[in-house]
Amino acid sequence: MGTMKLKSAASNPKPPDAPSNHISPMRPERRTAPRTWETPPAPAPAPHLQDYERIVGAAVLEELRFLARELRGKTVKMVNSTAVGGGVAEMLNRLVPLLGELEVQTHWDVITGGNDFFEVTKAFHNALQGSPYELTRQAREIFLTYNEQNRQRMQFNEDVIVIHDPQPAALIRARQDKSARWIWRCHIDLSNPHPQVWGFLRPFIEQFDAAIFSSQSFARQLPIPQYLFYPCIDPLSEKNKDLDDSFVQKVCDEFGIDRSRPIVTQVSRFDRLKDPVGVVQAFKLARKYVDCQLVLAGGGASDDPEGAVVLKEVREAAGNDPDVIILDLPPWCALEINALQRASTVVVQKSLKEGFGLTVTEALWKGKPTIGGSVGGIPNQIIHKMTGMLVHSVEGCAYQIRYLLTHPEFAAQLGRNGREHVKESFLMTTNVRRWLLLLQILLRNGLKV
Amino acid sequence: MTAQAVTTPALHRTPAKPFYFNTSAHLLRITRYKANNLAELLEALRQCPEDSIFQHTFRTLEEHHFIREGFSNDFAHWALAACNEPGLAEVLASVDVREFTSVEALRLRFLEIMERDLKNNPQAGARPADETFYFCASDIVVLPTSFQGRTMQEFVEGLRQVSLHSIHHHFIEARLRLKLMSNDFSQWLHEDAGLTETARAINRIDIYTVTLEEVRQQIVRIVERALT
Repeated sequence: MGTMKLKSAASNPKPPDAPSNHISPMRPERRTAPRTWETPPAPAPAPHLQDYERIVGAAVLEELRFLARELRGKTVKMVNSTAVGGGVAEMLNRLVPLLGELEVQTHWDVITGGNDFFEVTKAFHNALQGSPYELTRQAREIFLTYNEQNRQRMQFNEDVIVIHDPQPAALIRARQDKSARWIWRCHIDLSNPHPQVWGFLRPFIEQFDAAIFSSQSFARQLPIPQYLFYPCIDPLSEKNKDLDDSFVQKVCDEFGIDRSRPIVTQVSRFDRLKDPVGVVQAFKLARKYVDCQLVLAGGGASDDPEGAVVLKEVREAAGNDPDVIILDLPPWCALEINALQRASTVVVQKSLKEGFGLTVTEALWKGKPTIGGSVGGIPNQIIHKMTGMLVHSVEGCAYQIRYLLTHPEFAAQLGRNGREHVKESFLMTTNVRRWLLLLQILLRNGLKV
Repeated sequence: MTAQAVTTPALHRTPAKPFYFNTSAHLLRITRYKANNLAELLEALRQCPEDSIFQHTFRTLEEHHFIREGFSNDFAHWALAACNEPGLAEVLASVDVREFTSVEALRLRFLEIMERDLKNNPQAGARPADETFYFCASDIVVLPTSFQGRTMQEFVEGLRQVSLHSIHHHFIEARLRLKLMSNDFSQWLHEDAGLTETARAINRIDIYTVTLEEVRQQIVRIVERALT
């Protein structure tokens, strides 16, 4: 087993060129030292709309421009609870400038609150996704007090106000009349919400004109129209942009991955719900019949006690197998993750529970034959035998690894279909189109229930 | 049909009217209908709005335009993947949307198939599916494009350049607007360009055995052949 860990210099006193302590004793000559980052690299500049033309084609961009033309002069405000970190902020960082380029003036405001507010909203977040919780009067008051403070601080003069997630949901009380449209964009899984918390929030949500969910199964019975916006990836982000093969090779060399042999990869946090131990077991079953290496690239072990426990379990499951390469990467290793996915022969996401599963989207976008657990949003992306393979067990996963590694033409066809599926439904440009459509429908055609 | 359209045998012939390429953009709405077994699917099929039937047939074909075989409509896919009913799935998959000029007629066809199957196989109706079928619906906005065919050459160029959404809009969805077993391209080629045989040939393209991109290429080839 080879385990490598990239982390900040502050917690890793080794000089940048020092080899990792966890390098496998097997084939050490293949492994050079991984780079160690002292600080996260500066974010890459956001792409412009025109940059997407070479990916989606001129006609798709033209559609966006026609849709946006109808919205000229309209204004939109997005409100969420954080400007940095997390998927929502990452998405807004891309969406807001693109809408601006399309001349749909979009402002982004972030609510403020004390630690007590964010503790309450974090608890709400977990409770809405099914965790046990006791909703107290104090928690309700904290939630409402900070929402009221933000309501008084902020202006709501735009034509459309979009509130992201539950934290700012009570800002709907700022609604003066029916001239502006208010949309609630829910990014979390509401399929099994805590009844008390949902009962508290629901009266606010019902005052919106429309709600947006990331999956059909996340929606609730509400008296307002509910739309489906799948999460998306940005094909020009560091995680997904095209890479020179020389860089892919360099990353593989750094991590001791042999590109002359098949590579099976799972990219995910060290979390039991991602079943990394199951992946190791499936790999070991498959390797009885086909030569391959397994790369488990993840993070979360350094800042999450449970992650560290899971990482230990994964190491134990791997034993001394030199073909199991475990990489504990910091969150800013997007380019390295991209390279590992591109170097893979088969990508696995054998989750036992999943939100949408953006690592599946990333793998499909890279044209990789992908095996996924049939949970959460994965079946929306993997249509069995058409855009990938769905599995329900370790044994099923092992079989599909064997099958795909021994049927490269079929695997390649899955990869091509998977990429087209992402291009059609799960790219940032599709997300922009959905927003423009929704704005048009709500502003022009009135409301439809 | 004008005399000029009929007698000018070149790419530069001028049809009676230009062909205006449009496209349609769809937004998915989640409805309150869902099914956890085949009996519930049948009931929801009876009650759901027409735009749900449209979404799970016409529209899903567009979303999965890159798949050459085995993906026909969401009902067939679910019957196989979630209910393990390959016989029913096969019959549902055989429903060709191009044989219908109204969504209501299409709904009746699915109801007929489901009712017959559950009558012959009643125990299948209540067997829980592996996953829920959520009925969605499409809200549609029709958009212009910058392409128009004032000449046959421009028409062919437009066919090559427009998005696949536009091809779907004119070639597959069109029959719901036209209320004819035809499509916008064939109608225009017949009525405004005097190319009736070409119009018929295009209308015979099998959309269920090729990708939508291949459909586009076939249309271009058929039109070009008629013009040379």
